[in-house]
Amino acid sequence: MSPIWPGKSVYRNLLRKTLRDLRTSLAQTIALIVIVALGITSLIALISAYRDLSTSYNHTYDQLHFDDADFVINRSPAAVAGQVAAVDGVAAVTGRLVVDAGMQLPPGADSGAGNQIRSRLIGIPSDRHPEVNDLLVLKGNYLPAEGGAAVLLESHFADVYGLGPGDTVSPLIDGRAMPLKVAGTAASPEYLIVSPSRQEVFPSASTFAVLFVPLADLQRITNAGNTVNDIVVTFKPDADPARLTAAIQAILVPYGLSETTPRAEQPSYAALKLDLDGYRQIAVLMPLLILLVAAGSVYVMLARQVRAQRPQIGLMKALGYTKTAVVLHYLTFALCLAVAGSILGVAAGFPLARWLTGAYATELGIPLVQTKLYIDLVVYGVLLSVFVALAAGLGPVLVSARALPAVAMRMDPAATLTTGRPTLIERFIHMPFWLRLPVRNVFRVRRRSLSTGIGVVFSFILVLTGWSFIGSMSYLLSHNFNDIERWDMTASFDRLLTAPDLAQIQGTEGVRQAVPAVQLPASVGNAGGSKEVLLTAVPPDQTMHSFQLQGGVTPAEALSPGKIILTSRIADDLGIKTGDNVDVETTQGKQTLAVGGLSDELNSSVAYMSLDEFQRWTGSPEPRFNFTYLTADSAKSNDIEASLYRIPGASSVQFKSAIESDWRSLLGFFNIFMAVILGFALVMSFALLFNAMTVNVLEQQREFATMRSVGVGRLRIALQMAVETAIVWLLALVPGLLLGRLVAMWMAGSFQSDLLNFQITVTPANYILTAAGILITMLLASLPAIRRVNRLNLADATKVYT
Amino acid sequence: MSNAKLIRLERVAKDYRMGEVTVHALRDVDLEIAAGELVVLLGPSGCGKTTTLNLIGGLDKPTTGRIFVRGEEISAMDEKALTLYRRRQVGFVFQFFNLIPTLSACENIELSLALVGGDGSLRARSAGLLNMVGLEDRCDHFPSQLSGGEQQRVAIARAFANHAGLLLCDEPTGNLDADTGQKVLGVVQRMNREKNATVVLVTHNTAISAIANRVVHLRNGAIDLIEENDQPKDVSDLAW
Repeated sequence: MSPIWPGKSVYRNLLRKTLRDLRTSLAQTIALIVIVALGITSLIALISAYRDLSTSYNHTYDQLHFDDADFVINRSPAAVAGQVAAVDGVAAVTGRLVVDAGMQLPPGADSGAGNQIRSRLIGIPSDRHPEVNDLLVLKGNYLPAEGGAAVLLESHFADVYGLGPGDTVSPLIDGRAMPLKVAGTAASPEYLIVSPSRQEVFPSASTFAVLFVPLADLQRITNAGNTVNDIVVTFKPDADPARLTAAIQAILVPYGLSETTPRAEQPSYAALKLDLDGYRQIAVLMPLLILLVAAGSVYVMLARQVRAQRPQIGLMKALGYTKTAVVLHYLTFALCLAVAGSILGVAAGFPLARWLTGAYATELGIPLVQTKLYIDLVVYGVLLSVFVALAAGLGPVLVSARALPAVAMRMDPAATLTTGRPTLIERFIHMPFWLRLPVRNVFRVRRRSLSTGIGVVFSFILVLTGWSFIGSMSYLLSHNFNDIERWDMTASFDRLLTAPDLAQIQGTEGVRQAVPAVQLPASVGNAGGSKEVLLTAVPPDQTMHSFQLQGGVTPAEALSPGKIILTSRIADDLGIKTGDNVDVETTQGKQTLAVGGLSDELNSSVAYMSLDEFQRWTGSPEPRFNFTYLTADSAKSNDIEASLYRIPGASSVQFKSAIESDWRSLLGFFNIFMAVILGFALVMSFALLFNAMTVNVLEQQREFATMRSVGVGRLRIALQMAVETAIVWLLALVPGLLLGRLVAMWMAGSFQSDLLNFQITVTPANYILTAAGILITMLLASLPAIRRVNRLNLADATKVYT
Repeated sequence: MSNAKLIRLERVAKDYRMGEVTVHALRDVDLEIAAGELVVLLGPSGCGKTTTLNLIGGLDKPTTGRIFVRGEEISAMDEKALTLYRRRQVGFVFQFFNLIPTLSACENIELSLALVGGDGSLRARSAGLLNMVGLEDRCDHFPSQLSGGEQQRVAIARAFANHAGLLLCDEPTGNLDADTGQKVLGVVQRMNREKNATVVLVTHNTAISAIANRVVHLRNGAIDLIEENDQPKDVSDLAW
């Protein structure tokens, strides 16, 4: 007897058969390859983009020597930098003079010329680049060595207003304009996201300008002599940050050290990290979801295709092929799909990753972008697709290969024997003939309907998740800026104002209402830890900010004396609930307050209490404030802004419309990202449904041919197929929408951060559009199958065992 | 034709579960077939002809009873042994030809040739087998490019790829017109006469039974009658 293991020529022959089988069902093959490719593309593109962004940030920070710690002091001789540099472990030090001021937008600005905004002047050496927090000049030149009223504009601000080399900006220092000629625009590692302070992480490139000026000039204009008020330091790689920080603080305390900011707490760095962390979750979860759907789809489709080849499997066995040879043959089939899908997926994944990274970097103004090919992702992707395809093919092949040849060659009993029974529904509802047939078809071969239904449910999950993310973000911003924040503008002051000041503001022409408040940085904590927040003290009856309080608590109750409103996220992080006590530490000292209520806010790092409570802290006999919410006549907003800035101590006037615009700009990338995901979902759904519909028709080919043989018209058959499709859609509708909502909520939870309290909102429109979109996709995906039925050779098709 | 018994069926029964019903396809069949014999299994639909053929060919297993081929009990064989049995000792011809649509005529034959090994290139041997059935010019044609009769002749050539000497034909003319069917039967008879192949041929066409040495009449899964035919007709003398 010959050995049971066949020779090479057998496998060569079988490989030829495999390739031709793939070519014969080319459309289905392409659909399966597309599904595998989309899974691999999403894995490679989204994770590569995340890694590229992370690398780009770090590269930018490295190249521009971003500080490891920033020490704010009252004033010290510039020579103190030398003392700090001498500390063992310090790599480099730069002493700077930082002055916050106002500024009128110059006539050359693209919009808002003449409007007043906040500015921050940072004095740096003009004869050389700073050793710490260097600048990357993007347009024009670095500051001239000789100084001379020149300025480098931070690039975000310059881009918002179209300012560049040759323009003139005039910051207001002590009420006096200081004209400075723009030498160039530059990116700063401190302002990759333009955040004025830890309490104001909102992007505000349109209302906050960062100007880099020659240190000597700034010292002269501010009469600072040869002093500095900000020391930025980088540490050597092996240094102990805590020890170094303590050593430097010891040097700087005599000079009025007021603030130490380690890199992790630097506003821009922290905001980017939060943003990137949120992106990381999505970048991992979305490909996982898509891969899961791809795996499920490939499993279902491949299993059906293998089952459709049962007669051939039976024949091969009848001819004497071993079970192993049959199994290997069909696994080669799966392997070909996996390899082709992987090649396509890898080929598309990296360019898409580069595009995503570029779009994100452009949106945020990351100056130094690094992209690369991640071989490990390619390996993971290929292994994953091969594993999925082989696993998908193995089950049905084993079942078919195990069957006796005579059994395998017979018609599939599941497709033929479970017939001829009225459905349960027919006992209760009399259905017309045209409906009875598709209904029976759906329930006749349950495995087929189930596998198609699972594909439809997968489509619902993908599409509803993508759609509801985009919709939720838009709703979140609209809801926040229309329903919650009811003010038009705010003004901040760097001193406490009193009742006459409020009267003056309220008396300004165009101001409808001004509500006093106090804003101050605070630390809220308990034994479980502490969180940095922006604490706002407001009158309990104010209506400028609408609280979204949980559990039916009213604002009056939550803001009663001795209470504080926290956000749900902070409460969760600290493990506290309404009624618990928390310690609140501010410049006014440490107080213990009861949690009066939990409110859902756009930004999680905020807290509110009553203005009366603040007054009690300060012991002041009269109400005082450093912040106002205003509603105003929009036509007079510029005049109001100017008059607010004329109030001594005015530091910032902000328009809600500008903040909302900045937010939408920041989230522009999010929309691009989710649109890509939605695109993936739609293409994958189409490929998935196309295959499901095609295999459905193949399995019923003889029946359709027989119907046509007895004179049923093509349109009638197409209608029957459409009705059958609609029934499967209807059955998948509820589980699909429910699972889609659950997955969307689960993913939204992972997107939450201190920066953004993202709540998923699946609107009725989301449900309706998703359901309608899937139905239309299913019907479109049926068209090739309907065409196939219309072109059947009836003589042949009626004999084919399916 | 020798008197040596090539095939022996002892009290063979086969039951099928069809949904909730048990179908008794064969009931205690005893049958012997000699080497070089051409036996026709005749009977109406559902009488157990194809089941008998499938059991002899090792495509299926009996529910009870024993089947011997060349003295070996194939009904006791495991999957591996049955695979080798089919590969080396049996050639099948099916009613619907069962050619692989994505392989050409020669490649379909090579599908079997490659399994059994032998001298010479696969292509030369497959072409030789095609020549034997009169299709030497159809080597590179795919099944869809062949007529029904041509496809069935390719199937016969494939069945002879292993030189098994046992040809099992399941309604080989059932899907063909009379002229084409006659050509196909001519090939089968030639194989029986010239190559001394043992042929078991399933048909419900009584006219065909005239070419057999013996005709086994089956009814309701049992042998109804066995007719001896000392003067088998030549296929060319058949008419239906």
